[in-house]
Amino acid sequence: MQYPLEREKTMANKKHKLKKDALWGYVFILVPLTTFIIFTLYPVISAAITSFQHYKPLKTTWVGFDNYVSTFKNALFYKALKNTLVYTVFAVPISMFLSFSISLFILPFKKRVQTIFKAAFYLPAIASGVALSFVWKWIYDPMPTGLLNSILHIFGISSQNWLGSSKTAMASLIIMAVFSGLGTSIIIYIAALLGIDSTYYEAADIDGASFFQKVRYVVWPMVKPTTVFLAITGVINGFQSFQNAYLMTGGGPDNATTMAGLLIFNRAFKYFEYGEACAQALILAAIIAVFAVFQFKLSANDVEY
Amino acid sequence: MKGKKLWGFGMAAVMLASMFTGKISAEASGDKDVVTALLPPVSATYQDKINSYVEAFNKENPGIEIQVTTASWEDVTQKLDVQVNAGSPPDIAFIGSDGLSKYVDSGMAVDISKYADEEMMADFDQDILNYFKNGDGMYGFPAYCEVQCIGGNRQFLEEAGIDWKKVQEEGWSYDEFREAINNGVVKDGDDVSRYGFLFACAGVTAKDYFSIFVRNAGMPSAFDKDLKYSYTSTKMLDFLTDLRALIDDGAMPKELGSIDAGKRWNMFLTGQTMITGKGLSSFEKSARDNNEKLKNSDSSAVENSIEVDYIVLPVPVFDGGEQQAYGAVDGYICLTGERNPDEEHLKNVAKVAYYLASGERAAQTCQELYLNPICESGRKAYDELSPIEGKNEDNTKAVQTLLTQVGEARPDIPAELSANAIKIEDEVIVPKFQGLLAGEVSPEEMYQAIKDAAYERFGEDGCVNN
Amino acid sequence: MGLYKNYGKNQRYRKILRNLLLALLLITIAALTIFPIYYMVISSFGAPTEAAGASYSLIPKNFTLDSYKFFFGYSKYSFRWILNSLIVASTVTVSNVVFASLAGYAFAKLRFPGCKFFFFLLLVAMMVPYQVTQVPLYILVVNVLKIQDTYTALIAPTLITCYNVFLAKQFFTSLPTSIMESAKIEGCSQPMIVWKIVVPLSKTILSVMAIMTFLGEWNTFFWPFLVSNQEYMQTIQVGLKNFSFANTTYFAPMMAGATISALPMFILFFSLQRYFLEGVTVGAVKG
Repeated sequence: MQYPLEREKTMANKKHKLKKDALWGYVFILVPLTTFIIFTLYPVISAAITSFQHYKPLKTTWVGFDNYVSTFKNALFYKALKNTLVYTVFAVPISMFLSFSISLFILPFKKRVQTIFKAAFYLPAIASGVALSFVWKWIYDPMPTGLLNSILHIFGISSQNWLGSSKTAMASLIIMAVFSGLGTSIIIYIAALLGIDSTYYEAADIDGASFFQKVRYVVWPMVKPTTVFLAITGVINGFQSFQNAYLMTGGGPDNATTMAGLLIFNRAFKYFEYGEACAQALILAAIIAVFAVFQFKLSANDVEY
Repeated sequence: MKGKKLWGFGMAAVMLASMFTGKISAEASGDKDVVTALLPPVSATYQDKINSYVEAFNKENPGIEIQVTTASWEDVTQKLDVQVNAGSPPDIAFIGSDGLSKYVDSGMAVDISKYADEEMMADFDQDILNYFKNGDGMYGFPAYCEVQCIGGNRQFLEEAGIDWKKVQEEGWSYDEFREAINNGVVKDGDDVSRYGFLFACAGVTAKDYFSIFVRNAGMPSAFDKDLKYSYTSTKMLDFLTDLRALIDDGAMPKELGSIDAGKRWNMFLTGQTMITGKGLSSFEKSARDNNEKLKNSDSSAVENSIEVDYIVLPVPVFDGGEQQAYGAVDGYICLTGERNPDEEHLKNVAKVAYYLASGERAAQTCQELYLNPICESGRKAYDELSPIEGKNEDNTKAVQTLLTQVGEARPDIPAELSANAIKIEDEVIVPKFQGLLAGEVSPEEMYQAIKDAAYERFGEDGCVNN
Repeated sequence: MGLYKNYGKNQRYRKILRNLLLALLLITIAALTIFPIYYMVISSFGAPTEAAGASYSLIPKNFTLDSYKFFFGYSKYSFRWILNSLIVASTVTVSNVVFASLAGYAFAKLRFPGCKFFFFLLLVAMMVPYQVTQVPLYILVVNVLKIQDTYTALIAPTLITCYNVFLAKQFFTSLPTSIMESAKIEGCSQPMIVWKIVVPLSKTILSVMAIMTFLGEWNTFFWPFLVSNQEYMQTIQVGLKNFSFANTTYFAPMMAGATISALPMFILFFSLQRYFLEGVTVGAVKG
């Protein structure tokens, strides 16, 4: 039981503390926010403004919503959005499931062995971009001498035209994306797993929890912020990606692998219709944002944001 | 902990140092007029030579300084396009003339006919110079005209009973070609060990196959003389049916759509194809270099390769078409980001562009690419160079003939029309063509798709209908 | 080790069996992921031929260091490119680890007016595709600030990335607020909390962030390519791309270059491994 006066004092104290914290909050974000505003936000706002213009470096004119209207009338844009969606919806969950499982499997080993595995999963994708593109071309080589085809031959399956046929082109790209992105997710997941205090496992042991129960009730909730991070950045990357598709298939056959990012790229640079490119980019960003909000909502149950 | 702190200090020092060195590099070039140029490695030794070209020029013209930036072929357009969109392009850039209309439309290209001397313009073959014209303006100088056709393996051609010398002189019809490449197929049981014909069509390169061949099918340009869109003609349907037939015959691999340029050349050198595409004159050199290595049993010869004599061949002529050659005209475009550019500067820009495109520079570049110069001063300088050893004279003659058949430039096509045609090409023709090669789109479907897209953009009246 | 069952002494063989199975699975996947790097290294020892000669084989046919000589002989700036990359990547890494973690902590654990808004802004900015933001950024850096061909231009746009702020925030969110509260009651100021509690508890993620940032920056091509016109200001990735010639590519030297450019990443990875294996947990700090 407290006297009213004392109670007021602690309240004031708390308020004062809160204020001080808020001040520190601003100090901590000052430098990041400044560089962010100059080098990230300014270009984004500039692009948003341009989306309402017919942009020519020397004579720009305002066109209102024309760029948006012509984007929504463009049938290819919808097809590209659909392709991008399929690509993301498959690549992101598969990649996350695999990287989460692999991270779990690495845990029981000795530290030194863990490092070796981490290096083996992470470094190659990062360190050999040039070699990677050659290797993937070799893997998907449509002739019987291609890597994947020669493996299939052993099982008596005939050669496939991996990137050349609309049946397999998208799947081939998704597999490529999953493999290329695996390493990053794995090292982030492992960092999260290592941060889980052993007391949680001990408590679960006392309750007689099985391995899967521990994963479900201890590990999964504890790594949720990481999962949210990987899911959202994965969706952002997935929706924006087009380079692999462009290099491997050129968007074909019959636009089966044309990504929204490629259309934006072509508008901006191939046709110099930069205004329309900006409009398409903002529409894409809005779709990504919807996905992100959805993911935050899904995960908001027990983690505070 | 100590080591970590030291590291931090070191980083801070590097950061500071970087700010300073950054400042130093931005030194001014005095009162010289600086002309900037963005250039790809035009030929294998171009990057080495460009420095001495620039040095020689700077010495001769004390008032001008050329500053060159180089970038690889894949990236050079990207950089240029960002710079153009940002309104700060280099003064001179190396581009393919098919991209000219887009830069003109951006408002950044400079009509240098006002700034260049008469002699400069008169130096070039006018047909080729026209490739750098749009409307009434002239926006740069061509460096070379590269005939893009197909090429064959001499031994295999002779085995298949093809009189290649006659073909080089007189060309061939589609039917003759079809028969020839069918004769070129060699089977090992059920598997094909050698294809009659192979064209690299992976990804966006499918466009090359289409555009190089379509010229000989009676559609030399996307627009006819009356500026009507020509690909809606029924000739297109026949053309597509004919191309598909080559795959169905088994003379071309059915995986055509995912064979890239490297793989195609590898398959040519290893004897897996008789005729390859696209073919450039300089392939003769690549093939000969490899033969040389094979002879010396040099381990850097292409694995499993055989000795190959590369023979330049013209593209077959389709029904209703006539013999034409596809000439890729590349050169130096002049640009400016200023609203009111300084005339003196533009004169200097024109001078530099001409310098790079003519004389010794043109001669050396052309020789390295196995091409003939397209300007008088270049030809003069070319004659003084020591000739290429062991050059195949038949090929040289064939290329000369083809050069005379290069389709004329079309500066009369307005930028807006070409922009629409390019969009149809990117968004309809190339994707459908990839589908056609994969056997997923029929010639009829593709033809219909082209017609739909063209009617939408040009109206039925704006298209050829026969 | 708490997640996995601890087998008693008489069940040792079960533990060995389990680990053997897991190891087998991991090794299979590792073999697949290592393959490209293996291919890169063996090809770099091949003769400097053109791309059509790129040998698609698993076993090197011959061994020569010609490609390495070719790479360093190709430009007098070969070493300078590596140095440039080192400077840029190190600076960006240090500034990201310091500032992104500060901002991440602020967004995760401090409540101040506008914190949600600023964080939201950061996320939204990440969602706008790079293709349309690079032109305004280029205009800013080259036309307005006129700093092309400087380290500042190479470094500034990635000095602090939204990605890293987001990553830091997500990790700090799962740190228990209670230790920070009790530290505050004991009179710890916010910077002290970050230094004494958050950083020690987050060594793992901070070193992961350092590695990812360094490697990402080391590998980045397009931006340095846009803002470096002079050869001496190019980074290793930009320099490497110059190996692609007119219609041919010098394959083995390209692989040699890639191998050389990969070396610093390996060194960094293995020198930081101590941190990212420690797995500091709250219990360890409390105890």
